Amino acid sequence: MADTLELQDIQGLIIRGYGNLKAACYILLEISSPRLAKIWLSTLANTITTGQVRPDEKALNVAFTYAGIKKLGLESAILAMFSNEFITGIATPHRSLLLGDIEESSPLRWIWGGPNARPIDMVLMMFAVNDHELSDIYDAYAKSYADNGLLEVLKLDTVDLGGKEHFGFHDGISQPVLEGSPRTAISMNTIKAGEFLLGYLNEYGLYTDRPMLKPAMDPKGFLPHDSSGSGNVDLGRNGSYLVFRQLRQDVRGFWQFLDGATKNPDGSSNPTTRLKRASQMVGRWPSGAPLLKTPNQDDPRLADANDFAYYQTDPYGFNCPIGAHVRRANPRDSLDPEPGSEQSIAVGKRHRILRRGREYGPPVDPAELLSVKKTTAEDQDRGLHFLCLNANISRQFEFIQHTWVNNPHFNGLYDDADPIIGTHHLDGGTFTIQAKPVRKRFTGLPRFVSVVGGAYFFMPGIRAIRYLASL
Amino acid sequence: MTHQVALTIIAEIKAGEVEDIKQLLKTMSDNAACNSIIPFGKFSNIHFARLFVLDESIDLSGRLIPPCLVFMSECDAPLDRLLNELVDIAGEGLDKVYSHCVDYLSLSEITRKRRLAYLRSKMVNAGAFYVNTVGRTVQQIHQEAQLRNAIQDFLDHSQQDWSGRSSLEVRAKIQAYIRSDRTLNWARNPPAQPGLFFKLKETLHLVGIPLLLLVLFPVLILALPVWLLLLRIHELSDAAPDIKPDDAHVEELAGLEDFGAQNQFSAVGYIKPGWFRRLTLLGILLAANYGTRHIFNKENLAGVKTIHFARWVVIDEQRRVIFASNYDGSLESYMDDFIDKVAWGLNAVFSNGVGYPKTNWLIFNGAKDEQAFKNYIRVHQIPTQVWYSAYEYLTALNIANNAKIRAGLSRNMSETEAEEWLRLL
Repeated sequence: MADTLELQDIQGLIIRGYGNLKAACYILLEISSPRLAKIWLSTLANTITTGQVRPDEKALNVAFTYAGIKKLGLESAILAMFSNEFITGIATPHRSLLLGDIEESSPLRWIWGGPNARPIDMVLMMFAVNDHELSDIYDAYAKSYADNGLLEVLKLDTVDLGGKEHFGFHDGISQPVLEGSPRTAISMNTIKAGEFLLGYLNEYGLYTDRPMLKPAMDPKGFLPHDSSGSGNVDLGRNGSYLVFRQLRQDVRGFWQFLDGATKNPDGSSNPTTRLKRASQMVGRWPSGAPLLKTPNQDDPRLADANDFAYYQTDPYGFNCPIGAHVRRANPRDSLDPEPGSEQSIAVGKRHRILRRGREYGPPVDPAELLSVKKTTAEDQDRGLHFLCLNANISRQFEFIQHTWVNNPHFNGLYDDADPIIGTHHLDGGTFTIQAKPVRKRFTGLPRFVSVVGGAYFFMPGIRAIRYLASL
Repeated sequence: MTHQVALTIIAEIKAGEVEDIKQLLKTMSDNAACNSIIPFGKFSNIHFARLFVLDESIDLSGRLIPPCLVFMSECDAPLDRLLNELVDIAGEGLDKVYSHCVDYLSLSEITRKRRLAYLRSKMVNAGAFYVNTVGRTVQQIHQEAQLRNAIQDFLDHSQQDWSGRSSLEVRAKIQAYIRSDRTLNWARNPPAQPGLFFKLKETLHLVGIPLLLLVLFPVLILALPVWLLLLRIHELSDAAPDIKPDDAHVEELAGLEDFGAQNQFSAVGYIKPGWFRRLTLLGILLAANYGTRHIFNKENLAGVKTIHFARWVVIDEQRRVIFASNYDGSLESYMDDFIDKVAWGLNAVFSNGVGYPKTNWLIFNGAKDEQAFKNYIRVHQIPTQVWYSAYEYLTALNIANNAKIRAGLSRNMSETEAEEWLRLL
């Protein structure tokens, strides 16, 4: 029996991506006066959008870094109960190796979140129907920063590309559905709420570790009781860890590489092969149609197709290459101990994330990029604000990033990190396209996506925010 | 073909010299393959090697266990060749390392023979030893990787459009190319078969142990209920609380991980007090050793295909156990594999150790308590100060695939078989 989700205590972004609210921005804040900030937070708690109703006009959510929660005055013994990844943060030297944040993606060079950048305590996430409404909301908060003990570190804007990302592909199609939420999906995509929310059972049938307090430490009774029955009150319940990474995309580099790699023998471009190879790298066509189902051409009727597994139809990667981005970020039934089995799917369900990213920066048209020299728009920064939610950063986001996406040896491969977002060694990576009678492959694959900012946040439940504000 | 052996040398460190030895190990760790102390890259039969310090410890009854230096290597048999090479190639380096250890020779008495005798005197046998694929030598692994690279380069540079060709045609082209390269002459023949003596010994062991069990069956069947009862009594009383590892300890360990495709893991722990747990553990290790010798000896440890080598070594008069392994991927993926695929096996061994999550009937629960298990792993893990791999860019799956490419290179094949063979590329 699934736990009933306490939607009124869960921040709305965990439940939905607010697809109807086309405008969004993320404000990175430093807390200059914890005392004032807590007064502000106690009021803000009434304004935060919860998971209960789908907002029609605007939404607001909030999350804290470890430094931020610490500033609010939580006792060190309680702070130590947060996960090691959250406490030590995204930018430790080892984590940079693990995540592939090296060379141009090194945190030392990050615009925000790195050791050389200004400290960040929290992120305020605003959503509205259009940019005009959004800027009104933003202005209202911005003008009272000083009164509320806050300093703005950086405002991160987003852009609505109609569901596509900057390389031109439909993104965000495959999302897990929380067990106990009103939405339904096939069993492979229905995941225990505890994989995304603390205080609920996870895919192991267990509760993920989270900060817990003796009831005496919460005299006003803000916090819910520990549902595992320890008698403590639960600061983690209805909260989730938010991974936030700003990913810069080299759109010209991407299409130029593909153009060069797919030229006809006479040296002219071959747009059909170019698009096909790009789609093989992604694993879906620009419309979103999965190569598994339509390996030879795009088919917009299949744009949202997601009820499929790989192994039964395509064990050798002839339709969708083994190393394609979507086949490694969510391998479904592809992996050991027994590909194609329920056991393989069960293992996969322990490594899922809820993605909530949005694009930023002006779009560029690939066709134009390849014909025109340089445009002014092109000089601007563009990419994806990658946001994902999970209950165990190490087993979910970091595992997916290291063991699947960025692993050159993924699923028996040798030198094939993710062709789209992977970190390759200096001579470039390899992308193998399994085929009959024998594979094709690209070598010298450059890096198309780099990381320019990032942090691990905790997105508490509403009652936990009230408690933190009361400290 | 030669089989693989595990070298373990444990030497007590002189009082007050632990930091000196750690400093020395640090100078080696920057370049394990060609450092000036023990240049592991110069040894042709070493797969992996490591050196780590076991710090001073107080045992469960309050007795002090002095610090010691552990040197391990997984290598191709015979072990004697490795020992001889060690004193020949790294004699002076060994002096530098072991001069910090109790009983080592004074400068004036050092000879080649005495160094060798010292190493032999500090050798300890492994309680159980897992080899990913028994018989696959370092040389074979390197050669087969070279073969695969040659074929891939040929396909990349041949400028041919293969589409429309039959599998047999493509394969014939590859074979012709390999034949034209003299440095790949060896690839036409299958790898060497194990020696007759080794085969005989393994067969005797394979058959002998079950026969022995059959003989002892009447005794065992009577002992089983007693053992089960005692097991339950222990399980219900000796469970340990879940302790989260110290963040600084985790950072130190993590700082030594994830530089390449493979990682090392070293851990040490106390056996639970009393004869029951000690005997149970020794029995389980015997069973594990039988399993790794005869069942899990080809590319697969009960569903886990990412472990190159692993071993358990019982030390300190059966008070503690060292576990050491070489595996692919991150520690997180390694632990997840354990939990998802071989929790039963780990439970059987590790639940006899202090601090392990509660098991039921020896093999149930335990590692299935995900976070408690992961905490236990990190709490008991110790830094591997020096670590060497002879093929750090290859995963166990890559090595297995390369072996299949070589094995199929010269065989006669049907079109379907050729199609399958080409899928290995």
